[in-house]
Amino acid sequence: MIGINRRLLVASAVLATSGLVISTVPAQAFSPRAEVGVTATSIKLGVTIPMTGAASPGYNKIPSAMKAYFDYVNANGGVNGRKITLVVKDDQYVPTLAVAKTNELILRDKVFALLGPLGTANIKAVAASVNPARRGIPVLFVNTGYSGFAIKKTYPTTFSLFPSYIMEAKVMAQYIKETFPDKKIGLLYQDDDFGVDALAGFKQAGLTFAVKVPYASGSQGVSGVPATWIQKLSTAGAEVVVLFGVTSATAAALGTAAVMKYGPKWILGSVGGDATTIKALGVPVGVLYGAIGASYLPAPTDTTDDYIKLFQEINAKYNNNAVFDNNVLVGMNGAFVAVQAIAAAGAKPTRKALIAAIEKKGSTFFGAGLAPLNYSATNHGGYNGYWFGTYSPTGEMKPNGGAYTVYTTDSGTGAVVKSTYKRPAMPANGLPIK
Amino acid sequence: MHKFIHSNFGRLTFFIGIGIFLFLLGNRVDELRVYQGATLAMYVVAISSLILLTGYSGQVSLGHGALLAIGGYSAALARNHLSAPVWICFAIAIVVAALAGAVLGTAAARLSGPYLAGTTLALAVGLPSIANQFGILGGEQGLLFDVGFPPMSLGQEFTQYKWYFWIASLAALISLWWLQNILRSRYGRTWRAVRGNEVAAELAGIHAGKSKTLAFTISSGLAGLAGALLAMTISTVSPSAFPLSLSFALLTGAVLSGVTTLAGVMIGALTLVVTPEIADAISNRFANSENVTTNLPGLLVSALLILVVLLVPNGPVEQMRTVRHRKRASTHK
Repeated sequence: MIGINRRLLVASAVLATSGLVISTVPAQAFSPRAEVGVTATSIKLGVTIPMTGAASPGYNKIPSAMKAYFDYVNANGGVNGRKITLVVKDDQYVPTLAVAKTNELILRDKVFALLGPLGTANIKAVAASVNPARRGIPVLFVNTGYSGFAIKKTYPTTFSLFPSYIMEAKVMAQYIKETFPDKKIGLLYQDDDFGVDALAGFKQAGLTFAVKVPYASGSQGVSGVPATWIQKLSTAGAEVVVLFGVTSATAAALGTAAVMKYGPKWILGSVGGDATTIKALGVPVGVLYGAIGASYLPAPTDTTDDYIKLFQEINAKYNNNAVFDNNVLVGMNGAFVAVQAIAAAGAKPTRKALIAAIEKKGSTFFGAGLAPLNYSATNHGGYNGYWFGTYSPTGEMKPNGGAYTVYTTDSGTGAVVKSTYKRPAMPANGLPIK
Repeated sequence: MHKFIHSNFGRLTFFIGIGIFLFLLGNRVDELRVYQGATLAMYVVAISSLILLTGYSGQVSLGHGALLAIGGYSAALARNHLSAPVWICFAIAIVVAALAGAVLGTAAARLSGPYLAGTTLALAVGLPSIANQFGILGGEQGLLFDVGFPPMSLGQEFTQYKWYFWIASLAALISLWWLQNILRSRYGRTWRAVRGNEVAAELAGIHAGKSKTLAFTISSGLAGLAGALLAMTISTVSPSAFPLSLSFALLTGAVLSGVTTLAGVMIGALTLVVTPEIADAISNRFANSENVTTNLPGLLVSALLILVVLLVPNGPVEQMRTVRHRKRASTHK
C-alpha cells in the first residue's frame, strides 16, 4: 500500500512540475501588427521543394533563382519598403515531409504566404492536411500544371501559374493536325493524373493516335522497359511521336530510340523537354536535334529576349552564375510575378488582401511568359498558351518560323486560337512595380 | 514498489497515467508540437512492430514501409468507398496488413539473414509502385484519407492536429500495452526461445515456423496501424509517402531504441522526429548554406546510428539495465 501511495505521490509531483514548466513558457508576445510574416521592413515567404533525393535534379535550382530575383528587388528598395525573404525547406518529393515542412513554415517560421511548392501529390497532401484554405494562407504559383489547382472552389487560396496539361495537349493536338495531317501519330504518356489530364486534352481536340503507350511513373528507370515502348511505337509504324512524360522518361525514350535506330519526328511536352536536364541525365543533346518542343516561356538561351537578358544579368550577380536553364527561368519568373502580387496587396499587406489583389488585378500582371495571365474572381489559373519550336543540334529550342507564335486555349471545351497578347516590355530597371 | 510495476494492474495504471499526462500536455503546447506529437506516436507504433519482429522473434525486415503502405491504402479505401467510421478504418488497416503479413511471413519463415532482408527490401521497392497500375489506388497522386473534423463537443478551439494527436496517442498506448502483455505471454516466450536457438526450441516442442509466422503477422498488423496513422497525419496516401528511406528510418529508430527492449521505443521515435529540428537549429545558427541544412539531418542520424552500434549495441535501455544488474550483483557479493 505504501508502494502505491509513494508511486502516486511521485507521479503527481512529476505531473505538477511539468505542468508548471509548461505554463511558464511565455505566451506569444502580442504586439499590434499588420499580419503574420509581415513587419514594417520585411515580408517572409516560404517554399517546400525537393532539394535532395531522386526527383531533385533541376528542380533544386528553382529556390535559389527565386531568392536571386528577390535579392535584386531588395537591393533596389524592396516592395513598399519591405525586403522579401524566402525560407526554403527540403521535402524530398515525399508528401509526408511536404506536410511536416509546410507546418514548420506556417507555425514556426510564421511565413506570410507559400510561394512555388512543387509536385501535385505533395500539394494535394498539404491542401488536405495542413489545410491552408481554412487558415486563409495563400499558396502562390504552384510549380505544376495539374488543372485542378486552378479551380477556386476546390483550392480557394491556391493560384497556379503554368498553363494546365489539358491546355498543352489541346494546343499540341491542333499543331499536329495542321502540321502532320496524314501521318501516323504515336503517344507515350505517364499513366496517372498527369497523363490523364493530357489524354482528356487530346480527346477534346479530336486527335486520334495510331498507337498509345502508357508507362508507369518510375518504370523509365527499369532496364529494358523503355525498349518495349520503342518496340510498340515502331511496330505500329508511328511517324510522329508525342512524348508526354517527365524529363527522365523523355530522356530514356530518346536515348533508347537512338540505339534502336528508330527516328520518328519527336514532339516533346513542356514538362519533359528541358535540354539541360536531359543532358545531365546522360543523353547526348544531339538526340534532341530536329525534335519539336512546346513552352510558354521564351527559350532560356534566347538572349535577344529582354526578360532573358535581365534575368541572366541577375543570375550572374545574385545566383553565383548558375547554368541558366528552364528551371532558373521558372524560379525567377515566379518571383517576378509574386513581387507584383505583393505590391498589389497594398501598403499594409494582409493574406486576405493578397488573394483579393490577385483576383482583382492579376490579369494585368506580367512576366517572361508569352501568354497572358488569366486570374479573376472565378479563375485561379495563370498562363494559358504555348508556342512551338525546334531543337537545334546543341539542344537550343528555336521558335518555328523565327518568332514566338503563341496559341491559347482553356481547360474546358474552348477553341485553340492564335494569341494576340502583347507582353509588356521588361521595365528598364528590371522591376515590375513602381 | 517493484512488484506493483510488474503486476498487470500496475502496468495498466502506468499506461493510463501516461495517457493523462499526454492529454494535459496536448492542451498546453502549440500546434506544431501537437502535430509532431502525432507523428511521434505513429513512429512509436511502427518502431515497436519492428522491435517485436527483429528483437523478439529474430527476423529482419528492411521493407516495413511496404506494410505501412498496405495499412494506409486499406484505411483510405475503406474510408472512401465504404464510408467506414474512422475506428473501423484503423481496424481494417490492421487486419489487411496482418493478412498480407501472414502470407509474407509464411515465406519469410523459410528464409533467414540476408535472404529475408533481400526479400523484404524488394517488397519495399516494388509494392508502392503497384499503386500506379490500378486506377482505384489513385496512381502517383494517391488517395485522400480524411478522418473528419474533431467532434463539436470538444469545442471550437479544438484543432485538427490535436484531434490527430489524440487518435494517434491512444492508438500507440493501446498497442504498446497490448504488445508488452503479449510479449510476457506464452507467445512472447516461444518467440524468444526460437530467436535464441531454433533447434533447441524445436526440441522443446515449439513449431519454429509457426511461431515466426505469427510474429510476422502481428508485426505486420501493427505496421498497418502505423500506416493508417501516417495517412491520417498527412490526410492522403500516395506511393511517394512510403519511400525506401521510410523503411530505413524505421530500422534506424529500432536500433537506436535497442531492438531487444520495447521500453526504449520512445528514444528511437523521438530521435527521428527531433533530429531534423536540431539540424535546422544548428544550420540556422552556424551556417547559411542550403547544402548543410538539407544534408545535416541524415548525417546526424547516421552518426548516431554508428555510435549506438559501436558503444551500446543492445540499445541504451538494455545497457542501463545491464549496468544496474551488474551493480546490484556486486553489492550483493
